[in-house]
Amino acid sequence: MRIDRDTFREILDSLLRNRSRSLLTGFGVFWGVFMLMLLSGGGNGFRELLEKNFEGFAHNTCIVFPSETTKPYKGFQKGRYWSLNLSDADRLKNLVPELETVTPLVSLWGRSVSNGDRLFTASVKGVRPDYANIETPKLVYGRYINWMDIQEDKKVCVIGKKVYKTLFPEGGDPSGKKVVMDGVYYQVVGVDYNEGNMNVNGRADEALTIPMSTMSRTYNFGNEIQLLCFTAKEGVQMADLIPRIRAIIARNHYVHPDDEQAMYMINTQVLFGIIDNLFKGINFLVWLIGLGTLLAGAIGVSNIMMVSVKERTTEIGIRRAIGATPNQILWQIIAESIVLTLVAGMMGIVASVLVLAGLELGMTEDGILKATFQVSFGVALLAALLLSVLGSLAGLAPSLRAMAIKPVDAMRDE
Amino acid sequence: MALIELRDINKTYNNGQPLHVLKGINLDIERGEFVSIMGASGSGKSTLLNILGILDNYDTGTYHLAGKLIKDLSESQAAEYRNRMIGFIFQSFNLIGFKTAVENVELPLFYQGVPRRKRREMAMEYLEKLGLTQWATHFPNEMSGGQRQRVAIARALITKPEIILADEPTGALDSKTSVEVMELLKQLNKEEGITIIVVTHESGVANETNKIIHIKDGIIGQIEENAGHNAWDGTMMK
Repeated sequence: MRIDRDTFREILDSLLRNRSRSLLTGFGVFWGVFMLMLLSGGGNGFRELLEKNFEGFAHNTCIVFPSETTKPYKGFQKGRYWSLNLSDADRLKNLVPELETVTPLVSLWGRSVSNGDRLFTASVKGVRPDYANIETPKLVYGRYINWMDIQEDKKVCVIGKKVYKTLFPEGGDPSGKKVVMDGVYYQVVGVDYNEGNMNVNGRADEALTIPMSTMSRTYNFGNEIQLLCFTAKEGVQMADLIPRIRAIIARNHYVHPDDEQAMYMINTQVLFGIIDNLFKGINFLVWLIGLGTLLAGAIGVSNIMMVSVKERTTEIGIRRAIGATPNQILWQIIAESIVLTLVAGMMGIVASVLVLAGLELGMTEDGILKATFQVSFGVALLAALLLSVLGSLAGLAPSLRAMAIKPVDAMRDE
Repeated sequence: MALIELRDINKTYNNGQPLHVLKGINLDIERGEFVSIMGASGSGKSTLLNILGILDNYDTGTYHLAGKLIKDLSESQAAEYRNRMIGFIFQSFNLIGFKTAVENVELPLFYQGVPRRKRREMAMEYLEKLGLTQWATHFPNEMSGGQRQRVAIARALITKPEIILADEPTGALDSKTSVEVMELLKQLNKEEGITIIVVTHESGVANETNKIIHIKDGIIGQIEENAGHNAWDGTMMK
């Protein structure tokens, strides 16, 4: 088949002859594509928004913290309080080689931190440098706590975004400046802009992070720690390690190894797995609904083309009588179907892209995009391709029927 | 060899019970003839026209058109032959309603792959020949029956076919326009030497042609030389 302006004229002529019908038929396809694009783009955007919450938090983290025992063990009654200590960290590190990072955490809540007359109520976290593997800091100024700080019990701190904004409203790099907490001066060495909603012991943006050794010494924690965070090496399922970890810690503290209440463990891998599955499910639904609507649209096109062919029996017969080959008729009908589907579909793509762009505009804060809702160019291209395939499939049955029209039948049809 | 050469054409329709429509048609039509095929309805004249126009197949016999054997053609081949060798004029004009006069006329050339500009030029030329220049951009439903039939004639002529097949060309026209259309066909035959075959059941129409072929019950009855009715200076038929 030749594809030139004339062919297109022929196609447009017949499509435009029945404007309202073409419009309504096209709307089915338009809506299908629109929904598919909008849902997939929107779905991705919301996924990103949700993932923002977990930003900077290792996905394979497990956190363990002690609680009242609920089972008597080795002569101890139930209802006993116990606490973790630094030896648990070393023990785990030595006995479970599958663990990547094992890092303790001590913390306090609601401590007043001040800089001159400015005051902020922060949570305080005493950490080791490898805590950065659990909650990744987003440092805009300075550095994180390092091993030297630990060794020398340095009075340094990394401050969260809100702390920074409150205590240093004039902006600029606060490194080297001092803040006061509980009568002790701490030198600011870094600013952490991590705003994720998933944190251990207080939000990162409201936290003052200081070396763990400094904190233990200042507040007389001794060897005691509040919780222990660890990450598994790549390819290791945290759930597989948990019974061993439980046993090791339990043995150290005379806690019943099966006492799950006494030794509370939070495995983020499970949590992230749930969220992952949730989005897989949503994605599946999006495609199911979108493709279903699109398919319904395409079937609509096929149906209408069928009616159209039936209606145009005489016209097709005339064309055949004056020399159109069956192939020319076949291609004309298929091309009409493709053009109708493609034009409607393109409009759907454009409309959804516009809506998504609007959504992104609404999601932009200070010129920074919170999440990308927009579908990628590749997806749009794929959609266009899918549309052409659908269009030609939709046109297949009607065009075969049109092809079967004999000129004589057409003449008789009058 | 004659332009059209039919030898012992047989055609049977098998709708329910077999219906033997054409029972051995032998017919020669020479280039430049202006003949009519007359017969009552059911006589097989439409079937014969369909076979002549390669719109339908026949069962046995041979049909040569301009030296080519027309038998068992594929649909595409048939379309090609129809496009190049035959011009159709129908009782109900069979113009395409959503195309203007000039677009209707140029449609056969579209299927020949003639470029747009050339097509438009030729279509305008033929419309002018038929006195329809000012109607070129009008749609069929804006024209009178006679005008529509003239557009159809222009469409039939534009591919410079070997023969023009006219199926009851005046059937949908009033008597005055009928005369005009027949005059036009006569003129085309006389001045351009185009071979024209008219199928009709009206003796008045048949009388305008130079030879009347009567068909009855699927066989050719009488072939009536009709030159006397119309002074014509061409060579006579057998």
